Amino acid sequence: MLCEKCHKNEATTHIKRVINGQASEVYLCADCAAKAGFGSIHSPFSLGLNDLLGSVFGEAAHPKAIPAGGDEVRCSGCGSTLQDIAATGRAGCAKCYDTFYDQLLPSLQRLHGKTRHAGKLPASAGVEAKQRRQLDELRKALSLAVEKQEFENAAALRDEIKALEQGLNQ
Amino acid sequence: MTDSKKWYTQSGPDGDVVLSTRIRLARNFSDIPFVGRMTDAQKAQVEERVRDAVLNGNSTLAGSFHYIDMEHCPHVQAVSLAERHLISPEFSQGAAGTALLLLEDESVSIMVNEEDHLRVQVMRPGLDLNGAYDTADKIDTLLDEKLNFAFHDRLGYLTQCPTNLGTGMRASVMLHLPALQELGSMNQLANTVAKLGLTIRGTYGEGSDAKGAVYQLSNQVTLGISEQAAIENLRSIAQQVIAQERNARKQLCADVRVQDRIWRSYGILTTARTLTVKEFTGLISNVRLGAATGILDIPMDVISRLLIDAMPGTMISRSEQDLDAAKADLERARLVRDALGPNRPQETQF
Repeated sequence: MLCEKCHKNEATTHIKRVINGQASEVYLCADCAAKAGFGSIHSPFSLGLNDLLGSVFGEAAHPKAIPAGGDEVRCSGCGSTLQDIAATGRAGCAKCYDTFYDQLLPSLQRLHGKTRHAGKLPASAGVEAKQRRQLDELRKALSLAVEKQEFENAAALRDEIKALEQGLNQ
Repeated sequence: MTDSKKWYTQSGPDGDVVLSTRIRLARNFSDIPFVGRMTDAQKAQVEERVRDAVLNGNSTLAGSFHYIDMEHCPHVQAVSLAERHLISPEFSQGAAGTALLLLEDESVSIMVNEEDHLRVQVMRPGLDLNGAYDTADKIDTLLDEKLNFAFHDRLGYLTQCPTNLGTGMRASVMLHLPALQELGSMNQLANTVAKLGLTIRGTYGEGSDAKGAVYQLSNQVTLGISEQAAIENLRSIAQQVIAQERNARKQLCADVRVQDRIWRSYGILTTARTLTVKEFTGLISNVRLGAATGILDIPMDVISRLLIDAMPGTMISRSEQDLDAAKADLERARLVRDALGPNRPQETQF
């Protein structure tokens, strides 16, 4: 069946409407359905993340986030200010993430849902990052051991976890 | 290396729906500003470091990579690189200080001074996320030994754009979804995958206008998720999309009008004397659907190869004569007739 509107494309959308008890039906192609305002089915694809970035960081650089009267903080690596980063949606250099860590964190939380790296650790990663990762793995192993009722193994894992946690808290 | 050994001339796992798999890792140096804030001298410094690490090391990387200075690369060749998905379209503009390191079979490319100092990209035919990631991971580890990439204990790999922080990994699968597109399911699909931390978009155009029905499905979240978990998530969603597309194809291709359209498209492609890119892209999508569902007897790798060979930059850069738009359309029609017609080379027949 051809689209009832353009009479060119195959109709793929069947729209049934009941207005004040009056039922009407129409068969449209994807294009005409979109043009007719059935946007929830055929509206353009999701908004690009880059379009959203400006607004995401806009909040981080909101005047309230910058101490009034004080000198603006600049990154020692590249001279960027927080507002530079907000305006472009891009960091100036690797050090920016240290300099503006606290201010950027809420935006990163919104962007990714989480704020702590859980992927690959390069050789250069700090001892703490490596220990935290080890801790995560031990905890997983522990719950698996408990599930399998391997209690001796579980006890050993628990001791190992305790020792690591103490080390990390010091 | 002969053309037939390049990754895109082959068909891979789930090749009826999946064209290719890509893994891209973003990496940077900590002692040099990001690309947006770099001087020309710093760009040259980055280029030299990467070039030295890849080409002059005694690692397994050395010797198999070609170096291409993008700034001085002829424009049609740069466009052809983008058509082969080896670089991003923006990168083909040949901005100052940009360079590309390319593995011989073109399955690995390293873009220097694109949006990040380095972008390591691995391509595979069909659905092969684990295979592509393994290769990318090995190259990254080898490079990191020498280059010591910027890494933050809490935020992971540091990137210019915060959307890539963490793993710096973008994994994507290029899908041919003519049936789901025709049934008007693409927007619903886009909404669903967005809720699962993924994104899907048309590669040639947007929304229901996506020419050639080629879509890219990729992960969106890079912080707080491991590479393996992100890949597994993408793989399982991709499998579901593939299953849905196959069901939709069954439904669609039972319709004689759809079969008619596939055969007519095949008829035009094998007889036309002039073909624009736009016309080719629409028709080859129908023919690919026909080949994938057994309506047409054409091997998928013949189509995979055509999807690259018939693109304008690739045609012009390979041609010995000067091609203008009109001549290119004649040449494209000849190329397509030779590849798909009854006299197509023996090796490509069943």
